[in-house]
Amino acid sequence: MNRRDFHRLGTKALGALVKLTVALPAAAFLLNPLRKASPAGADAPVFEGLVPLSQLKVGVPQSFGVVRDQVDAWVKYPKEPAGSVWLVRQPDGAEPPVIAYSAECPHLGCAINLAGDAKSFICPCHTSAFALDGTPQNHVPPRPMDRLDVELSDDADPEVRVRFQRFRTLAEEKIPLA
Amino acid sequence: MRKLLVDWFEDRTGLNGRLRALRDEPLPAGPRWGYVCGSALLAILLIQAFTGLMMMTAYSASSSTAWGSVFYIEKQMWMGWFIRGLHHFGAQTVMVLLLVHLLQVLFTAAYRAPREVNWWLGLALMTLILAFSHTGYQLPWDQKGYWATKVVTNIMGGAPVLGPYVKTVVVGGSEYGNQTVTRFYGLHVGILPVLLAVCLGAHLALRYRHGLKAPANPTPPPEGAPSTYHPDQTFRNSLAVAAILGVMVGLVFWEGGAPLDAPADPSSSDYPARPEWFFRFLFQMLKLFPGRLEWVGSIAIPGALMTTLALLPLLDKVLPSKPLHFLVCSTVFALAGGAGYLTLESFREDMASTQFQEAREKADKSTERALFLASHPDFGVPPEGSSYLMRLDPLTRGAELLDKTCLGCHRLGGEGTGEQSAPDLKDFGSYAWIRGLLEKPDADAYFGKSPECDGMTEWKQNSKLDAKQLDQVAEFVASFASIPADQTVDEWLNTPGVVDHPGNELFQKDCGTCHLIDGYTEGGLRDAPDLFAWGSPRWMKRMIRKPGEAALYGYLEEKQRMPAAAPEDLNESDLSMIVRYIKGDYLKPEAPAAPRP
Ligand code: FES
Repeated sequence: MNRRDFHRLGTKALGALVKLTVALPAAAFLLNPLRKASPAGADAPVFEGLVPLSQLKVGVPQSFGVVRDQVDAWVKYPKEPAGSVWLVRQPDGAEPPVIAYSAECPHLGCAINLAGDAKSFICPCHTSAFALDGTPQNHVPPRPMDRLDVELSDDADPEVRVRFQRFRTLAEEKIPLA
Repeated sequence: MRKLLVDWFEDRTGLNGRLRALRDEPLPAGPRWGYVCGSALLAILLIQAFTGLMMMTAYSASSSTAWGSVFYIEKQMWMGWFIRGLHHFGAQTVMVLLLVHLLQVLFTAAYRAPREVNWWLGLALMTLILAFSHTGYQLPWDQKGYWATKVVTNIMGGAPVLGPYVKTVVVGGSEYGNQTVTRFYGLHVGILPVLLAVCLGAHLALRYRHGLKAPANPTPPPEGAPSTYHPDQTFRNSLAVAAILGVMVGLVFWEGGAPLDAPADPSSSDYPARPEWFFRFLFQMLKLFPGRLEWVGSIAIPGALMTTLALLPLLDKVLPSKPLHFLVCSTVFALAGGAGYLTLESFREDMASTQFQEAREKADKSTERALFLASHPDFGVPPEGSSYLMRLDPLTRGAELLDKTCLGCHRLGGEGTGEQSAPDLKDFGSYAWIRGLLEKPDADAYFGKSPECDGMTEWKQNSKLDAKQLDQVAEFVASFASIPADQTVDEWLNTPGVVDHPGNELFQKDCGTCHLIDGYTEGGLRDAPDLFAWGSPRWMKRMIRKPGEAALYGYLEEKQRMPAAAPEDLNESDLSMIVRYIKGDYLKPEAPAAPRP
């Protein structure tokens, strides 16, 4: 190897070193959103009390906003709206007593509404339609409406508590978003 | 196929040929370390642009969000500390290289014909880079950036005639706030980069037009094939850039990123604002001028220097060139020496000043506190903005308010700001406090210095309670502090553990004869305050708001009473900051956050 070849090689190698030193951390920086939410599940969804059971009518879907503490990058918001859910009370003795659906459309995430006759759900965006039990009524939605975990408190008039979660849109399975 | 494409592209653009011409620029005298500086400067500027662009994807320009977003970059994002650290130390590296480059051109007299225009472009670039430095320093909207910006813009404002107007336009009003941040941000990431790109492009174009200045006494060229710019000079350039970057990375690791002070607080009274080290000499020089003539030091002298430098190529034509060059070089040497001296002097003065050290220590403490609060899962940057970070922290805000409004008469652990005429508030409401009071009511820490408050002392002289009984009473009274805000006396008495507390009976017999609690004790023997929920936030708030209430100290003469704090003077949030501070109800670094349920 002569002097000029050595210089050529050295320039390439050093140039690559310099570029990588800056580019690799920058790549990590840009990929930051892929970072898992804070460890120990600090942001893991918890049950949120929405409404006393007695205020729900059997078979009539009602929508409720979910409000909870949220962390948006560096800001901590106490009690911010996070999303909304549909609650459908089941006939007495049925298990579970209340079904909760996320109002987020499994198609592309619009907010699902109740159809005019209150007998089915319909999404205003691309006409996904669902029966009151959440099953798709046409071919647009990839899966049924997303059921959320529900529990009742121990009070005399128990409070309906829901664990609000988001799921990946367009997927045929229900895949929770971290 | 590939050759076909390359040829077609070359035919249509001629780009390759031109680039090859640049690469193959002959270097008859061989590569030189002396040619490295400009290239290194260019490389670091590119790194600045790149890391800057990265941070633009995460930075949020407003006075309420800037600090939080920089905190997020620095402390939470992957490699954020590294990117920001590179940008921070890169800025300083640019300053150093800039100076070296300038001196080099000056000493080799490369400003002479035909390179006059490139010399001017260089000076313009220098000005732009100084502007970059100033605008960038302020963007985190932390204490350091805030106060430094204030100083720099006020220097602008001190210029004769147009100064005040220029300042108002740059700052975006007479107050520092959202408009200041957005304007500086716009300058830093938009206007200045465009100007820099234009000047830099022209600078480089002219450098190729004139070629590199051949050395005055060329060394014999190396043996073998003749040298060309690439790879012989580029190798040296790459080595230099790699070494410089290595130093920068070392500094980033050493510092653990880039510094971030507590959020900007316009109300802080003792923040020791200092500029970056390369402006220290100016900072120090300002102390030599009387305020009225400040603009001489900050504007006239640097301005005259810049003008002289700019006129240099022209003077070169009319004055004898060699003596002029000698004169300028020695002047610059003298000035550099002076600047170096001033810089050292400035650091030395700070080192010797206890006042500076104290202020710096305090600033470091609040920095630490701010970072702790912002990263704490139970606190975080509040939605109102980062300036509320500290305002909602009892340890910071409460201590500050207590110091300002209470410690003129009260004491806190023996410390106070005026002549004591009220009790010590350390641990007020606790068992220790009340037990101490029962032991020696006329101690300084209790009512010894409070005029007309001798009721407890009188009780002590006649009381027959023994130590164990006093313990029990103190324990009982200390439990008042945990009575919830909405509990009534009846509800409280029905709570398990109250009536059957061993201190209850003693309290009724010994204390209740003076201290009336409606529905519980009679009082009446002597005037004394209502002790229901004594030491709890509700009692303390009531006491601060309305100490003259009949159930509190209404029986004292007006001038002996604690002055009431009206909501106009002390808002609810601040009131609770004081109370929570006294009660020690704030986040402490030792105790790790309890995991959320
Ligand atoms: S988002 Fe609901 S139908 Fe497309």
